Amino acid sequence: MADRNPNAAGIRRRERKTLLVGLLFVSPWIIGFLIFQLYPILSSFYYSMTNYNLFRSPEWVGFDNYTKLFHDDKFYLSLYNTLYMTIVGVVPHLAYALAMALLLNAKVKGQSIYRTIYFLPTLVPAVAGSLLWMWILNSQYGILNMALEYVGIAGPNWLVSPDWTKPSLVLMGFWGTGTITVMYLAALQDVPKVYYEAAEIDGASRWMSFWKITMPAISPMTLFQLIMMLISSLQYFTEGMVFAEASQSTGGPENSLLFYSIYLYQQAFSFLNMGYASSMAWILFMVVMVFALIIFKTSAKWVYYGGDK
Amino acid sequence: MSMMRKGTSNLLIAVMIIALVLAGCSSNSGSNSGSGSQNGGTSTNGGATEPPKKKVEISFWHTYGEADADPINKVVENYNNSQDRIKVNILGGQDATKQLTAISGGAAPDIVLTFWNNIGPWATAGAVMDLSDQIAGSGFDINGLVPAAAERMQVDGKYYAMPFTMSMASSLMYNKAAFQEAGITSPPETTEQLFEYAKQLTKKDASGNITNIGFLPDYPWIDNVFWPIIFGGSWYDDSTGTVTPNAEANVAAIAYQRSFYEEFGNDKIEKFRSGMGQRGTAQDPLLTGQLAMYIGWEYNFKDERAEDGPIGVAPFPYPADKPELKGSGMVSPRAVFIPAKAKHQDEAWEFLQYLMSVDTQVEFSIAAKVIPTVKDALDDQRLFAEDNKTMWSFYERAKSENLAGFPNSAYINEYLQSLSEETEKALKGTLSPQQAMDNVAAKIQPLVNSK
Repeated sequence: MADRNPNAAGIRRRERKTLLVGLLFVSPWIIGFLIFQLYPILSSFYYSMTNYNLFRSPEWVGFDNYTKLFHDDKFYLSLYNTLYMTIVGVVPHLAYALAMALLLNAKVKGQSIYRTIYFLPTLVPAVAGSLLWMWILNSQYGILNMALEYVGIAGPNWLVSPDWTKPSLVLMGFWGTGTITVMYLAALQDVPKVYYEAAEIDGASRWMSFWKITMPAISPMTLFQLIMMLISSLQYFTEGMVFAEASQSTGGPENSLLFYSIYLYQQAFSFLNMGYASSMAWILFMVVMVFALIIFKTSAKWVYYGGDK
Repeated sequence: MSMMRKGTSNLLIAVMIIALVLAGCSSNSGSNSGSGSQNGGTSTNGGATEPPKKKVEISFWHTYGEADADPINKVVENYNNSQDRIKVNILGGQDATKQLTAISGGAAPDIVLTFWNNIGPWATAGAVMDLSDQIAGSGFDINGLVPAAAERMQVDGKYYAMPFTMSMASSLMYNKAAFQEAGITSPPETTEQLFEYAKQLTKKDASGNITNIGFLPDYPWIDNVFWPIIFGGSWYDDSTGTVTPNAEANVAAIAYQRSFYEEFGNDKIEKFRSGMGQRGTAQDPLLTGQLAMYIGWEYNFKDERAEDGPIGVAPFPYPADKPELKGSGMVSPRAVFIPAKAKHQDEAWEFLQYLMSVDTQVEFSIAAKVIPTVKDALDDQRLFAEDNKTMWSFYERAKSENLAGFPNSAYINEYLQSLSEETEKALKGTLSPQQAMDNVAAKIQPLVNSK
């Protein structure tokens, strides 16, 4: 109180001091950001306007790479493959994770054991998990087809048939939804119990209270998960790469596993077209931006932020 | 009072942060000086050129993993022990990406062993030293190498690497029991016979599904180099500067492969494929008889192909109307090159010559069970020891003049990729072989013209 000195210079000095201390604290991050994120991002933009094979100086070509990209069949194919994973994968995975969260929220004996078991697969590294799943999905020795045979269904050739390679990746994705479930569990705890009690008194069914109370209450979390999953599925790489190795060609059977990032990687490191690959990266950035914007803009309609309803 | 405490605590925190930053910086510079190597076994001397008398240390990177590195380690050990001027520090498990990163990052090793198809793009990009001067200067006998192997090291007529060893696919391996059962007394000699025998050796069950198949042209992978060679095709016409994947012989090779798919049916083959045993294990299809015949490389079934073993080896068939193509096969060498920015290029060249000497070639080939690339080594008596018997016929076949390979060039990876994709479509019947190969030509020719 006594420090509330009307001396303007004194205040400025104190503010500056606070500012400097703050900056000092943030400086490691800022330096890291400048060197390892901002600089590469700007360089990438520069390289996307050049032909650069890593050993000779980049050669300026302007928007050539972008024009070539739009005439490239594989560009569209890889976009299709990636969007397939996004559209076919994201919503089912989210729904599954939510269903699991609701189940794991039930007050039963051994709840923590179930939660642990369910979360364990998320800890398996991506490559190890993919290799494991390649054995599960093996059409001759894999347990999935064996189980299907038991109920009389002839399992498809998961890893070799071009129509089934992406669905098998989607299938594998369900295994790793642990983190999303944990987040949903947290969101579910936050739903005020009063709502449920009021609904019960009013005679609402469990189904109704789910749709009218739970869903809106956790919608901020759903929005968050949707955006995160969208971004990561558009960058899908590791699992696709491991699966493709099995069929001896980058891109898998009939290029059904040629995801956008994998094609980018191929252009950059197999064909040494660094400039072309950089332009691919920027196109991806724009695609992600557009999708994210659409989701954000429409989110006002279905997302409720605490205390509204 | 509170100001004082605030002052001291601020100071403490500031000191902590500075200490952290310094720690981070110093460990960075520590790793910088050791960059380019992981196990500290490398030292490319920082810029100082050693006077000839002092011992020069050069770094040698190769692609072999832990399990296979013994033979190459032995070679390096022998070299280091045999002379005092150069010490070779060896680092294994360096795959192509790691090599590329090191070379482009300025921490290039002095001599590198890699796969031959990297030479084309890397040499054109300026990362690989042109060996022409070295070869002329030391009188190295290029003609003493197996031509097919040496050619793979050329880009635009200049040698950028030496073929250290070669892998060769020029044989037909077959399951002897399956032959006996079908009443076949000798392996097929022509490609037409191969097709006929394949039909005889194929068995189906009551519902028409294939249980055993005679031959699959694209097992274990679509081989877009092997088949055109067998039919006498090639991929580049020097005189016109055009790519020729759609030349008559090349298209005939694709059509031949397609004939198997037409005969047995796409779906049936795919279904059969999914049930095939794991290659290289006890359930290997050739061992169990699921597959009767197989394109053989020198590293396949080394023990099982002994005289009294279950697997037989024969030269790969040739088209009946082209008996001059007998003995054809494809060669896939490993290349040893010197990066353009290597610091000890002369010493690296000396070591390279050692690698290509007859003694080294013979010893390495026996230890690693591969084929030497030096013609004199192929005749060396040491190779014909009793316990190396399963390799003898391969050494003989390595002398065939019909061995060939895919031309090395800046766009080799795009070319190979395009061939794989279009061949897949032709095999499935989506496109005719001619159309598929025309697509390849249309796609790759612009790359030739621009690069």
